[in-house]
Amino acid sequence: MSKKSVEAALARGVEILKAFLPLKSWLVFPVLYSACVWAVRRVFDFRERILAWQVWLDPDFVRAKPDEFVLAFFCGHEALGREYADEIARGDMRVLRAAFPALYPVLGLEDAFLKALFKAEIDASDYRAIVVAFASRTAKAMEDIRPAAADPEFWKALYFAAAEAASLGLHLLKDEEVQNMIVALVKKPAGAAPAIPPDA
Amino acid sequence: MGDMIPISYLSARTRSAIVALGLAAALSAACLTDLHRAKRDYTAGQEHAAAMRTEQAVASWKKAADEASGASLRKPSAQSFTVKGLAEANLGRWREAEASFLKAFSLGFAKGESWAADAALAGLAASFAEFGLEAPALRMYAQLLDRSDFRPALMFAAEKRTDLVLAGALGLEPRDRDRALSGLNKALDRLIDRDFACGLYHYLHAQVDGHLGDLRRSYEEAVMARQLGLPAEKILRDNDNQLVYCYLRLSGSLPAAEAEAFAAAHARWAGRWGWRDARTPAWKKE
Repeated sequence: MSKKSVEAALARGVEILKAFLPLKSWLVFPVLYSACVWAVRRVFDFRERILAWQVWLDPDFVRAKPDEFVLAFFCGHEALGREYADEIARGDMRVLRAAFPALYPVLGLEDAFLKALFKAEIDASDYRAIVVAFASRTAKAMEDIRPAAADPEFWKALYFAAAEAASLGLHLLKDEEVQNMIVALVKKPAGAAPAIPPDA
Repeated sequence: MGDMIPISYLSARTRSAIVALGLAAALSAACLTDLHRAKRDYTAGQEHAAAMRTEQAVASWKKAADEASGASLRKPSAQSFTVKGLAEANLGRWREAEASFLKAFSLGFAKGESWAADAALAGLAASFAEFGLEAPALRMYAQLLDRSDFRPALMFAAEKRTDLVLAGALGLEPRDRDRALSGLNKALDRLIDRDFACGLYHYLHAQVDGHLGDLRRSYEEAVMARQLGLPAEKILRDNDNQLVYCYLRLSGSLPAAEAEAFAAAHARWAGRWGWRDARTPAWKKE
């Protein structure tokens, strides 16, 4: 495996996907990264896998969790526990419950697309920003991906890009490396559309 | 090559008859092929669902519904409409499923009428819930759970009713909440008695037990759900999180000897499921 060849495959993928997502290149990273996650697991029904997050944005069972489970979720995640230390100490379930529906799908259920969509905030451990931006950013992603998602050629291009990278040894790289590689590739051309999602 | 008669020797009428027969045979073969394919894809969907490959299951059911639709257009039959209705029900397309089962009933499938009624009720309850009319939705789900024998509608009603009751119970006084949750658990117990191998019912039971604070039972039900299979990856992941939550809480509350035995048993399960350690399912990133 050569890291360079994986990077070259991903670069081709980024270029092709940018053609399907003109002016929406901030979506290239979450789409391509989640496709890579499934390709490494040898699961190739990308369309259903990648769009599954839309079904799971606010599943009923997330809102119905008992307080003890919500509290354990915040305490069990080191950085999250630090960020919400005051609320945990005060037992402020109103704030914790309000943040839970945004944070649990991203950090608890670890949906690949949602994790990539909030990569900047996760990297900065800015979990409150995820809660603030969750509804608007996921709604925008749903809206912006719709035209491309309706085009079978988009899924074919994505399949080839991720499958090629997987065949070249993508699984040997750390998750973080793959994410950084794709982000760098998306940002590469000067003056290109932003790789960071524009929040409404 | 034997005594074959060249087709040009036959009368025009005989030739037309042969062509018509050939066409009929070809069309009928196409029909059979469509229905055969629909059945095969429906079965593949069931197999994918049993193996927790939800997305593949959905893709197979969509194909099955399309193929059965094609078959029933060419040659309407109780079988083709039943397969179409089953695939539609599994996809949550209740209105379409109702219409398909009614057509299957009119063509001789005896259960079609009751399945159509159950699909209609499930669709109606879902619409009520969507518009925030939870009380009538809950009544319809309860009715389905009490009297339906149509598995897709039963599973749908069990999941939706559990979510609604759990969400409603959050705002109740402890005594009222426990009463509501115990009632819900009794209904789930009845479902489990009827269909013990359905992982979803065990998952739902584990959720309710978690709310009631019965973590031992919640853990056991979650283990059973994991072993029997769940209908979606996110539910599987949530079930894993419930297992870890119960494991950590129980480990901290049990007497030392019991805690040790419990940790050993949990480690065996975790090993069987391919977890990295007692609290890290395989799907969790480092």
